[in-house]
Amino acid sequence: MDSSVEETVPETESVAFMKLALEQAKLALDSLEVPVGCVIVEDQKWQKNGLIREEVALKFSKCTLYVTCEPCIMCAAALSIIGIKEVYYGCANDKFGGCGSILSLHTNSSGKVTCSGISKRKEFKCTRGITASGAIDLLRSFYEQGNPNAPKPHRTPVQRV
Amino acid sequence: MSGSLDETSVVSSDCCTIIHIPEKSPVLPHLQATVDVLASVIEPKHANTIVRKLNHIAPLEGLRHVKRIRKTCLDGGKSQLFVILCLASGSDGETNFVPEDVLELVNTYQLSTFTTKVCKHAASTKEEWEEQCKLWPTSFHPPTYNIDGITGFSEEDSSAVFNFMKLAVCMAKSGTSVVNAAVIVDPSTRQVIASSCDQVLSCYASTENTSRESCSSNQAEGSTKVDATKVEKDPVLLVKSSNEAKQSYKEVRCLHPWGWLEQQSHVGPDSWHPLRHAAIVAIEKSAARDRLLFPVNGQSADFAQEDYKVSSPADSPLKRQKINTNVKHDERMDHHRNGLQCDSTRPYLCTGYDIYFVWEPCIMCAMAIVHQRIRRVFYAFPNPNDGALGSVHRLQGERSLNHHYAVFRVLLPEEILKSEAIATPSKID
Repeated sequence: MDSSVEETVPETESVAFMKLALEQAKLALDSLEVPVGCVIVEDQKWQKNGLIREEVALKFSKCTLYVTCEPCIMCAAALSIIGIKEVYYGCANDKFGGCGSILSLHTNSSGKVTCSGISKRKEFKCTRGITASGAIDLLRSFYEQGNPNAPKPHRTPVQRV
Repeated sequence: MSGSLDETSVVSSDCCTIIHIPEKSPVLPHLQATVDVLASVIEPKHANTIVRKLNHIAPLEGLRHVKRIRKTCLDGGKSQLFVILCLASGSDGETNFVPEDVLELVNTYQLSTFTTKVCKHAASTKEEWEEQCKLWPTSFHPPTYNIDGITGFSEEDSSAVFNFMKLAVCMAKSGTSVVNAAVIVDPSTRQVIASSCDQVLSCYASTENTSRESCSSNQAEGSTKVDATKVEKDPVLLVKSSNEAKQSYKEVRCLHPWGWLEQQSHVGPDSWHPLRHAAIVAIEKSAARDRLLFPVNGQSADFAQEDYKVSSPADSPLKRQKINTNVKHDERMDHHRNGLQCDSTRPYLCTGYDIYFVWEPCIMCAMAIVHQRIRRVFYAFPNPNDGALGSVHRLQGERSLNHHYAVFRVLLPEEILKSEAIATPSKID
């Protein structure tokens, strides 16, 4: 596990937001979807609904994302591209995780850093372990009931210990 | 990550060259790790017995690729046999610790032992293997198991690959700028499932259809007129032009994923998005196509149709299909619970499909097509900034992922690139 991911004793605020994310995950579970939820929290009230690039970029740079499971490599890359400020996640994603488990796309240390040209990887702060057990419980319930959207043929739904 | 060692040429037909990009970055032969082993000359008549005993008392754990016996030819046509007795003790100070059973064998056959080096890891390329055998013979299994049945391009296959890549290159020239393009293909029917350019720029909506149409006509003309000999004569030229390309194409999103932050916007809302890279949009279109062609009980095809209408070419017959499904939410959930929505004819995402890129995809796009279960990836130019399939990352080699595709680079004849203004930076600045 990447050392640049902070493991933290949950603080009240992040736990509160993560609970909102867990609520979203529960909604997904009820719809037979993969129970991973997320909320995005803005630092401050946005003054106007700007849609030009500069304004959108500024908006993302003031946003913190709370997600129940570690973002996959694709999502971690996307979060870096949009320039999110900070990410809190619950459980680690040992197979696909892009914020410390498989790759560390939230830091500049993985892979090459592009020095030439206009683009450079955007780093974001990453904290894991916020109410991880809640996220794991939901995922476990999901796999126990079987995933109707999995490719066919797939494992028949069975009870796992 | 360029250089001939990195890539194994799979086919070089008369139209294009397809190069397999392996899962692991190959190790330069002279940099391969070695371990010390204890060896000895043996009498040929004792060879069988000794090897059988050794395999029992001192199996070469972790060195299965290393052959136990080495045969060298001496002057005068005679040969000499050597055998590996066991691993030599390492550099931890314990000099020449030899298991008792091995010592007994040494005494029985009056062997005179010596320490020698063998390669620690199995070779991943023929070149590595040839180098290894200079030290001590190893066995070599070409890494075909993981791409079984999807390499070995026939003349017909490689011609199809070439045509689809040409289509992608043609699409990449969008108006006055050059962007990345992605084409998803069902190789079993040679049908384009979905295609798109980067949509993070302002003017894509108006240029895309025109671009597609001109491409289609280009493709119809076929590839036979292309002077492909140039590729074989001078592949360096192509590598060179691709290197030039990386410095110039600021609007190719996979090359500059973070570039959107710095670009000036002169356009209004709705016409750009930082994440709508070519592959992402092509996947979206492919999904919309599935929803339309394979409607599922309980899913709104109307919604899919709306999606697809926006993105499909004007003359698509799909667009005119009308499917009525107004199922209430509760009924929908019942169908789900009863498993009635299963439709075995419906494709599972992009299972079995190929995708063509002009530029090697960034890590976001590369992972997106893992999720989609794409079978083969072809790209024309490497992406030194954020390339995920050999240049910066090597996602095809991440064993923890639940799906792996085979990756190929397609070297196109210079003429194609020139005609599409891909290889001439002066035209696009």
